[in-house]
Amino acid sequence: MELIVATSVGAMTAAGVYLILRLRAFPVILGLALLSYAVNVFIFASGRLAVNLPPVLQYGDAQYSDPLPQALVLTAIVISFGMTAVLVMVAIGAFLESGTDKVDIDPGDEDEEEPVK
Amino acid sequence: MGEGSNLLVIIALLPFIGALIPGWMIRAGRNACATFAAVPTVLALVMLGLLVPDVMRGEVVQARFEWLPQLGLSASFFLDGLGLLFAGMILGVGLLIILYARFYLSGDDPMGQFYTYLLLFQGAMLGIVLSDNILLLLVFWELTSLSSFLLIGYWKHLPEGRQGARMALAVTGSGGLAMIGGMLILGNIVGSYELTDILASGDMIKESDWYLPALILILLGAFTKSAQFPFHFWLPHAMAAPTPVSAYLHSATMVKAGVFLMARMWPALAGTEAWFYIVATVGLITMVLGAVIALFKDDLKALLAFSTVSHLGLLTMLLGFGTTAAAVAAVFHIINHLTFTAALFMTAGIVDHEAHTRDIKRLGGLAKLMPITATIGTIAALSMAGIPLFNGFLSKEMMLEEASHTYWFENPWIVPALATLGALFSVAYSLRFIFHTFGGPVRDDYPHKPHDPPFGMYAAPALLVVFVVAIGVMPFLADPLVAVAASAVAGETLHPHLKIWHGVTPALFMSIAAIGGGIVLLLIHRPLDRLWIAAPRPEAKAIFDWLLAKLVTATRWFTDVTHNKSITCYLAIFAVASVALGFAAWSGGGIAPPTRDLVPVPPLVGLGFVLLIVGAASVVLFHRNRFRALVVLSIIGLMVSAGFVYLSAPDLALTQISVETVTIMLLLLALHFIPKETPKETRIGKRIADGVVAVVAGTGVGALAYAFMRRDVDTISGFHLDNSYEGGGGSNVVNVILVDFRGYDTYGEIIVLGIAGLIIYALMQALLGGPAGRKLRNTDFARDLSKDRHPLMMVVATRVMMPIAVMVGIYIFLRGHNYPGGGFVSGLVIAIALLMQYMASGFAWTQSRQRIQYHAMIGFGVVIAGLTGVGSWLAGKPFLTSAFGYFEFPPIEEFELATAMLFDLGVFLTVLGAVMLMLFSLSRIARYAGQSVNLEPMDYDPADRVKQLEEGRE
Amino acid sequence: MNHWIIAPVILPALLAPIIGYVMRHDIVIARIASVAGTIGLVAIAAGLFATAAPGETFVYRLGDWPAPFGIVLVLDRLSALMVLLTSALALIVLIHAIATNWDQKGLHFHALFQFQLMGISGAFLTGDVFNLFVFFEVLLIASYGLMIHAGGRQRMRAGLQYVVMNLAGSTLFLFALGTLYAATGTLNIADLAVRLREIPVEDAAIVRVAAMLLMIVFAVKAALFPVQFWLPGAYSNAPAPVAALFAIMTKVGAYSIIRIHTLVFGPDVPATGDMAGLWLFAAAVVTVAVGAFGVLGARRLMPLIAFSVLGSMGTLMLAVSAFTPGATTAALYYLVHSTFAAAALFLIADLVITRRPGDTLTTLPATVQNGLFAALFFGAAIGMAGMPPLSGFLGKLFVLDNLRDPAEIGWAWTAVLLGSLITIVGFARAGSALFWKSTAFVLPQNTITEDEEKEEGPITHDPATAWEVVPTMAAIGMLAALSIFAGPAARYFELTSEQLFDTDAYVGAVLDNPEGLKPYPSEGYGDEAAAEGYGDDTPAEGHADESQSDEGGH
Repeated sequence: MELIVATSVGAMTAAGVYLILRLRAFPVILGLALLSYAVNVFIFASGRLAVNLPPVLQYGDAQYSDPLPQALVLTAIVISFGMTAVLVMVAIGAFLESGTDKVDIDPGDEDEEEPVK
Repeated sequence: MGEGSNLLVIIALLPFIGALIPGWMIRAGRNACATFAAVPTVLALVMLGLLVPDVMRGEVVQARFEWLPQLGLSASFFLDGLGLLFAGMILGVGLLIILYARFYLSGDDPMGQFYTYLLLFQGAMLGIVLSDNILLLLVFWELTSLSSFLLIGYWKHLPEGRQGARMALAVTGSGGLAMIGGMLILGNIVGSYELTDILASGDMIKESDWYLPALILILLGAFTKSAQFPFHFWLPHAMAAPTPVSAYLHSATMVKAGVFLMARMWPALAGTEAWFYIVATVGLITMVLGAVIALFKDDLKALLAFSTVSHLGLLTMLLGFGTTAAAVAAVFHIINHLTFTAALFMTAGIVDHEAHTRDIKRLGGLAKLMPITATIGTIAALSMAGIPLFNGFLSKEMMLEEASHTYWFENPWIVPALATLGALFSVAYSLRFIFHTFGGPVRDDYPHKPHDPPFGMYAAPALLVVFVVAIGVMPFLADPLVAVAASAVAGETLHPHLKIWHGVTPALFMSIAAIGGGIVLLLIHRPLDRLWIAAPRPEAKAIFDWLLAKLVTATRWFTDVTHNKSITCYLAIFAVASVALGFAAWSGGGIAPPTRDLVPVPPLVGLGFVLLIVGAASVVLFHRNRFRALVVLSIIGLMVSAGFVYLSAPDLALTQISVETVTIMLLLLALHFIPKETPKETRIGKRIADGVVAVVAGTGVGALAYAFMRRDVDTISGFHLDNSYEGGGGSNVVNVILVDFRGYDTYGEIIVLGIAGLIIYALMQALLGGPAGRKLRNTDFARDLSKDRHPLMMVVATRVMMPIAVMVGIYIFLRGHNYPGGGFVSGLVIAIALLMQYMASGFAWTQSRQRIQYHAMIGFGVVIAGLTGVGSWLAGKPFLTSAFGYFEFPPIEEFELATAMLFDLGVFLTVLGAVMLMLFSLSRIARYAGQSVNLEPMDYDPADRVKQLEEGRE
Repeated sequence: MNHWIIAPVILPALLAPIIGYVMRHDIVIARIASVAGTIGLVAIAAGLFATAAPGETFVYRLGDWPAPFGIVLVLDRLSALMVLLTSALALIVLIHAIATNWDQKGLHFHALFQFQLMGISGAFLTGDVFNLFVFFEVLLIASYGLMIHAGGRQRMRAGLQYVVMNLAGSTLFLFALGTLYAATGTLNIADLAVRLREIPVEDAAIVRVAAMLLMIVFAVKAALFPVQFWLPGAYSNAPAPVAALFAIMTKVGAYSIIRIHTLVFGPDVPATGDMAGLWLFAAAVVTVAVGAFGVLGARRLMPLIAFSVLGSMGTLMLAVSAFTPGATTAALYYLVHSTFAAAALFLIADLVITRRPGDTLTTLPATVQNGLFAALFFGAAIGMAGMPPLSGFLGKLFVLDNLRDPAEIGWAWTAVLLGSLITIVGFARAGSALFWKSTAFVLPQNTITEDEEKEEGPITHDPATAWEVVPTMAAIGMLAALSIFAGPAARYFELTSEQLFDTDAYVGAVLDNPEGLKPYPSEGYGDEAAAEGYGDDTPAEGHADESQSDEGGH
């Protein structure tokens, strides 16, 4: 199981990194989403893996999975959701303002004269 | 500290305080301005006078305040012979300059500004000569660079003024920075930055391994300031400043700061081989070079500038000799040079002011037109030439005397010969100054008819000339001052006796040779001048400008290449750096053997795993079709949630899946506005490179995860398991951690969501307001919409689902504390339900049917959560301390209420509000983009059909 | 229990939503509320500063849970200093933003501004690494909003880059935290400090990775090579007042390194002590060079300032990288200095740019009040470039004097001294082009006495009102004050760094839980505790505490 989790994390990370290195906003967004999946699993795994354990406290039961990383992941998920939402809007804004959804700004299409106000 | 030392501090501060005055006084008129600029100088001079007796008695007046003790920087001043000499010069000449400038500056020049700068400079200069702490000295040193920058650039509308100012700042500034290094090293050697300590421990310094670097760095500072070869080129360009400035800074005081520093550091640094060969040689070269160039300058001020360079070289050389006799000569020549050169500059200024030109070739015959000025100029120039009965002669004799028995690498001739040559040229240019300006016939082509200026203008140079003659005739007058100053330099008490006749010495013959040769040179000046003009020679300014330009181009190129605004490059570098450094860190430490066995894998999980991997791969491969990429992404998300379920983390699964749903929905809506396809535009090479980076990063992360999953660690979460129920009142530990143990995190988390909502709303408004809004109106997004946008089935289904979804949401909310769920998830569930409504029935319809404002939701949510936390203060408990109890409600059985649930309510509201606000914003844009809006649930209402049929029957 | 410790977080956190919702349609009320709130924040920060000054470390246990199980806020000299710095800067920037109407050029400026303050204060006060992450996100997302405030083509694209870069950074932050928890099983900084000192080098590989990744994350915020590339683009396209506020954001990264890599991974820790200093030093040297080159090569004013900020961060981190109390003292001095210097530059730049077509360093007719602006720019520039009499010069000397390691002196001194030379030249060129050349066709004016008198050149815009100028002057005034009162200030910084390096005191203060906290701590925790499962309420008061305090004690 550990191997599978590790591989999944690795795979999602790799895919995410590849996508954030693309030139357009949308794949970058996808890449960041993938990365956040990856990191969530990564943090969850930092509590080590356990199978078929009860989700909540109950009498006499002995083992529980480590709850702390789960809580951390929950927080992380929510935050990354908010971030993604903002990122999407900013991407839309950048596209509508500039007419291109490239993330790179080529020296050419940034006119030096435009006042920064 | 006696009252003498108090005086010392006041003297040091006066000019700075005074610098504030002229700016205001200028409103009261130019005379008032000049007068009030003079006041602080006069006061300082008087106080200095009060201290003279003590110093003459060989005492050292000291004052000390802590400034930055952690650094060893203290505001400590001391006044000894050398300090007295320079302080007197600075204040005395300063006073004369203030007087002179009053008449020199024209009505258009901002005089208040001028005097402010001048006094700032005066203060900085005084600081240098009075400070007893080398760090303090550095402060004042840099201040002189700054104030001279302002003074040279005073006429900021003149390009040469601006360039001269910048060049001076660059050269002297760099020297100052080098000196910082030297001084810090010095301080580290001695263990103190106090000058008195450093001067006392000269031997320790000279033995240290750090002596040479310190010496070189400090000398760099001195040489740049005193315009020594090869840094001499900035001084002539600094002459673009108004003449009073040139007279004050660039002949009398600032350029002497370097000489002063060498004299000051003499006991600590001088007397070594390195010192002799560096300082004496540079001085010698500068002296000769300056003199030669000066002879061929036609601009009076340029001529004087190079003569100054030459004389500074002379002083440097004397100090370089390292003998006490040479020190005496140096001190004496400092005084003499001050008197005649300041007078000469002012004369040049008068000529310029009267004749409106400083070009020697356009002058001549002024003796008859402006006799007073001519007399002053002639006397001063003769002194500069070193003609007997003027003070310049005396100190130059002493210089030649010293030079005559100085060996340079066992060579007895080279130093005396070059010294004589320098003297010879200085005779030549001095005489040229006299004869080509004042001598000769009166011309009729002056730009402006010259005549003697008002008394106020020539008073100052006249006074200086009096000194020139007085000392020249009765040298013993200067004895005491020279004695104390020289003793201070040498660090031992000296009793020099200055006299005119030294008997028949080598120096005498050298002088005679110099004078004779000088006259000859002047006679054959015209042909020589032609040769000089014809001869190719390096133009220092050109080289400097070229270097600077090249440097700018280089840095600009570097910056453009590195910061090319290509975020993908930045991210690639970021990723590579993280992996590389992470690996470096890893390999720095060992790793213990695994302690956990692998958990077995059932086939079903294996299947999910395969799906996930395939998904990841296909997202990469097919990401160009954005819809497809989204679908695949959601599959990956599903697999992750499934994994969470299997690994006994239901809360995670629940949250993950609901968040993912909302995210995907938002992305789908977003795709409505941005291109549906990602063009193929990267070269295969880049794709391979990125692939490599990605794979390396993935491998690294995976390996790291695997490494720690195989090893146990003792975590703090056992505590949470133990105390969740008693302490937190919940049996769902994860939820209790979220709302109680780590409720503060959750608080921050919902605030992030709230902010996200606000930003998106604000951004939407900004977009619709700006050019983007117009663009939106003109683009037709409707093309890809299906004809029947709100299919009946879906409408009905969502309508039915709505209440159920809400029920589920509330249920999830309530049970959250004890079972998987909680405010966040339920908020999302209800948000999803509303999203469905939107998709099914259109936003307007949905919007019109629910009245709550999303801003309000966010606001209330955050505030409620916050107040819940604050509420615990009432119980004297810290923020977010939860309390809970069990209550009986007749219909229902025992029921738990926890303040944590109130907090959870805040979470719920914020989440719902934020998500809906995002949605609202997106749909605002959509509607703005001209997407038609239906006010009916369905474009096609079956009721109409029925009506038609009935009508048909009748 | 001193509730004031959390006030710097709660006050803006409660104020912001109210401004964002209730007052979102009335700019006047919003302004009043925002200013009042910020003044309140300054007052509170000053109070906390006074509280922390004697040297006690105050711990605020959120939810009344014992450390390290709950989240704690820690107030010591360092955090108090940073919060005070933040609030002071915030007030200056806010007044400028209001006076220049920047806050009206988009929605929700004040709400976002307050949230930003909340995030920054929270990051400075927290004693828990994951909570640090959370507040990083709060201040970041708020900064996204401020960065793209008022929209505009270039700004939106720059904003997109800024967001993407920081999201990548946040992801790395999470990876680092996961690794850290996996290696140590705790999140509380004090507890981490204890556990790190128990990990032998033979078993340190994982935790070393965590330490390194954390450093990179903080380096992104502090804009250190090779992760500094984002800064110039972001700062030069942000609204100038926001850029001025961002002066503190880079310091958040610096603070985190100072705090975490001294307290937790410090030089005295066998497992990780060798790493931070080495890498930081190299990165800082390069950063100084990059910043200086950028200043000299800049074509526009805003990037020029942004690069000078970069250079100052390099100098600052040079001092940090020594990880000695003395150098840290210098670092803190320079930190405070560079914050106000950067702010002053951006604010004066705003005054000038809004009065001329663009911020290109080409010669244009002089703006109104050219002399006044020139004087202010001159002041701010010598502050940043490190010329006397302002604090930059002392700070530079202070830093250099504390880099005593012979192996490092060569590189560090050369970098800093050459760097500041190039910076000086760059600023001189820019200033000469902006303020001197522009007067070429008219008579020079008096820079000192022309505050209100209109002057040469076509007056395209109104002269700056007193309220527009005061903030810039205040920022420069801070530099002057920091220079005049360098002694007392440095004394406080000295005490601060002593306290910072006294790990045991910090650990003791945090982990010595007072009796009678809410829960019933059971003996020991971890796996065997998990084995006891639910329903064991053995009220074994304070065993866990004692075991903790023992750890804390040594």
